[in-house]
Order: sequence, then structure tokens, then C-alpha cells
Amino acid sequence: MNAVDIVVAEDSRIQARMLQKVLVDAGHSVRLAEHGGVALEMVRERRPDVIISDIEMPEMDGYTFCKAVKSDPELRSVPLILLSTLSDPVDIIRGLDAGADNYVTKPYDPGYLLARMGDLLATPLELDSAGAATLDVTLAGQTFQVKAGRQQVLNLLVSTFENAVTKNQELVVANRDLSLARDELQRSNQELTTLNEKISRINKQMTRDLEAAARVQQSLLPDDEVKVPQVELAWRYVPCQSLAGDFLNVFQLDAEHLGLYVVDVSGHGVPSSLMAVTVGRFLSPKVSDSSLLVRPDGNGGSKLATPSEVAFQLNELFQADEFSGLYFTMLYGVLHVPSGRLRYVSAGHTPLAQVSADGTATLHEMAGFPVGFVPDVEFDEDALTLSPGDRLYLYSDGVPEAMNAEREQFGDEAMKDVLSKGQGTALDGTVASLLSAVETWCVPNGPLDDVSILGLEWGGPG
Amino acid sequence: MTTFRKLNVSRVKDVDVVIFKDSKILDEELLDELRTELLAVVGNRPAPDVLLDFSNVEFMSSAMLGLLGVVHRKMKKADGRLKMCSIRPEIFTVFKLTNLDKLFSITADAGEAMKAFE
Repeated sequence: MNAVDIVVAEDSRIQARMLQKVLVDAGHSVRLAEHGGVALEMVRERRPDVIISDIEMPEMDGYTFCKAVKSDPELRSVPLILLSTLSDPVDIIRGLDAGADNYVTKPYDPGYLLARMGDLLATPLELDSAGAATLDVTLAGQTFQVKAGRQQVLNLLVSTFENAVTKNQELVVANRDLSLARDELQRSNQELTTLNEKISRINKQMTRDLEAAARVQQSLLPDDEVKVPQVELAWRYVPCQSLAGDFLNVFQLDAEHLGLYVVDVSGHGVPSSLMAVTVGRFLSPKVSDSSLLVRPDGNGGSKLATPSEVAFQLNELFQADEFSGLYFTMLYGVLHVPSGRLRYVSAGHTPLAQVSADGTATLHEMAGFPVGFVPDVEFDEDALTLSPGDRLYLYSDGVPEAMNAEREQFGDEAMKDVLSKGQGTALDGTVASLLSAVETWCVPNGPLDDVSILGLEWGGPG
Repeated sequence: MTTFRKLNVSRVKDVDVVIFKDSKILDEELLDELRTELLAVVGNRPAPDVLLDFSNVEFMSSAMLGLLGVVHRKMKKADGRLKMCSIRPEIFTVFKLTNLDKLFSITADAGEAMKAFE
């Protein structure tokens, strides 16, 4: 095709520039007009070889522009291509009515546009406007009267048909891609279902394992076999997750002594509970070389380690490392049952609560490092003598630090109050009511930390 | 790691001053992040000077004590100096109960701490 002069009427600057580039790259010269009015002036000033026009433009739209060109004897032989989105079939009628020679739908393939242009230039237009018949065309219930020459109609039909075929081909490809995507999706869905089932199975297994571990932990709690005539015992142990970082125990050390403790490992859940169980094994009353509580004395007998010695040994064994950072607090006491004398050590633990027979509750504060913080440290011991009817309570900080919905703590005073009031009633009932008070306090979220309570009542020298 | 999500770290006269962003140090996820970030502040250089400023902290779980212990041990190994300041009374009680107020170097405010570093 020889180089030709083209007038382009297009209100979108970007689309105009793009079209200009296509045409200029093909060797042609281009004049741009931003609407039909400007384009009309341009074509009257100097007759172009081809006109390409958008339809939707301000001031003067494509149809009006086209009509004006085609009714001008000087200009009507210039091939005019309308660019259209062709969303409405009535657009074709309008195009015919306006006298357009070709339609190219947007978005268009540049090569296609150039080819159509070439075809139009190759075949001179039939200019039978005088003899052109007025055709009645009915579309969508409406009848249009269209004045169009036969060639014009054919040209328009061909270009419309070509457009339709191209679009149809694109649709077929898109449809195929969609089918493939749908198959892909189905496969992914199946994979997802399989994975979900797997996760569910693993989850159930984990839950079973946790429950089994919790049962092991429960089995290490004091058994009911501790029956010492002058002593009444009661305890409650409530992990906040299935496994607890708390631990408690009470046992006979020898004929006259009872050992008791509450241990609270920092944090909770699996690592803390593993630590708690391990600590518990070391705090076993069975006489052996590895027991920290009762050691063979070399003469076939055994001797009790003092609470201070026990804390010291534990501290050496359990220095917290950089990775776990786990430490634990502990209250360990040894009660000489005939005299009611208690020696005890507190390694950073909550104060020992003593409630006398008349209901006065006292907290014995004692500062000490938690176990595992600093090596080679002496732990101070304290001692007290019980009066007949006195009660002792060991507990974890899950009791005073229990938080309600407003994040307020249960507190020492509330705790002492429950213990005081319970003095006249059975020990087990008092322990139960303390637990109940904590649980009520923590409604609706429940306690956020493990709760351990160990109560002891001394009846007297017997 | 030079940008911290849970800490405001600034350098004042060769001391790394660390301010905790969260007012409530309670859940495990936060503690894990704090462990990573605090250990990064201590870093691997010899003799670091670090000040932990608790002025924002309203509430702290006891697990945080374990973390402070870890930081303390690492600083000790590196021959560094660790101080803490501006701990609110409600939180300070747990330091007292565990005797950690005797183990850690704690001052009332940042000013006192900075003087002690000189």
C-alpha cells in the first residue's frame, strides 16, 4: 500500500496517539482531530485519502461527522471507517444510515485495521448516492429507514461479519482456558479436602496424646494413701490447658515427718508441664541416692534433707538455659507431726497462708530467688509452730493473680477472706470454696493460669 | 535486625536504651517476639551496656521474669552491664517477692541509671 494521508477523529488522546503510531509506523501521514467538528474542518481544508473516526465524541459524534462527509460531493468518495464498540446491533443500522464504509470494533488489532484500510483503498467506492434506495430495516421491534448503496451495505456487512468471527474465535479460546481452569480448580479442591482430613486426623491424635499426658500428670498427684492420724489433707489441681506447669504433692517422709510442696513452673503448656513432672520426680520421698529429700545416712538409715538444702540442690540442677528460660517457684515444707513444727523454704513463691482455729488468716511473706535463676545461692528457711486446729494453705499464684473480665486481680485479701470463713467447716470444703471463688471471679473467660491449692489441718500432738 | 516491632531502641552515650512498646506483657507470642528482639539488642559484641525502661509497662506476667533472667545471663557472659528502670510499684512487688530486685540492678528512673553507667 502506498503512503496515504489519514484524518483520525478520536477524543481520547491516548487512543488517538496509539492509532497515530500504528499508522505512522506503516508509513502513512496522520492528522488528529479531537472531535467531529475539528475533523470536518480538517477534511474540508485538505482532502485526505482515508478517514478513521470514533463514534462517541463531544461537540460532534462520529455518525454526524460521517453524514456530513458523505453528503459533501467533494468528500464522499473518501473511505470512512468507524471505530466502535458495537455493543448494540442498532449501531450497525446507524452506521449504514450515516453512510460509513466500514466498521472496526474496539479493541482492534492494528494489523486488521490496516488490512481493512488497504481493502477499501484498493476498491473505489460505488458512488450511487442519487440512485441509492431507501431500505426498510426492522431490528428489535423498531423499523429504520436506511439510505445505503449496495456496496456500502456489503462492505459494512463483511467488516461486521469479520469482527464477529474474530470475536467468536477469541471466545472459543477463552472458553477452553476456562474449562482447563475449572478442572484445575476441581483438582485443587480435592487436594484441599484430603489435606483437611489429614489435619483433622493429626489433630485428633494430638488431642489424644495431650489427654494421655494429662492423665500421667494427674497420676503423679498425691494419692489418698497419706493417712496420718493428726493431719487432715485436701487439695485441688486445675490446669488451665490440658497440661499444667503447676505441681503439688504431700507425702510421708518418715514415721514423724510429712513433706509437702507446691511448684509453679513459669509459663504453661507442654514445656512447663514437662519441667513440672521432672521436678516432681526429684522431689520424691523414696529413699535413694538421687532423691533430694531423703538420703541414706550410711548406717542403713536415712536422713531428711532440710528445706534449705533441698532448694539449694534443686537450684544447682535446674539452672535455666538460654533457650527455654524456664524457672520455677516453689514452697517446700517439712512438718514434724508430733510437735506441729513446720520448717519451710520459699523460692520466690506466693506466701504460705496460715489460718488459726479462731479464723485469723496470716500470710507469711518470704522473699527468695526462684529456682533456676542464679547458681550457687543459699535459700533462707523459716519455721513456725502450729496450734491445734490450725490450717496451712500452699497455693500457686494462679489464685491471687486470677483475673476477672476487667483484668482486676482476685487478690490476697479476697483469698484470706474465703479461708477465714471456711475455718469452721471441713477442710476439703474450704479448699473447694476457694477454687470456686477463683473460678467465679474469672467468668466468662476462665482462669488464665493453672490453679493449685494444698490444704493441711493439724489436729494437735495427739 | 535494626528495626524492632516491640521495642523502641535508642543509643544514649554508648548505652542501648530499650523502651517496651506494649503496656501489657502477657501472652506467649509477645514474649517470644520480645525474646528475639531483646537478645538481638544485646547482640554479640563484648561489654554491652543496656538499660531496660519499663515506664510503659502496666502489667507483666511472671514468664517475663524468666526472659529477663535469660537476658541477664547473656549480658553477664558478655561482661556487659544491664540495668532496669521506671518499674511501677504493682509490678515491682513480683521482683521483690522473688528477690530479683537484689539480683537485677534497678533504679527509679532513666536519669539515675544513666548516671550509674558512667
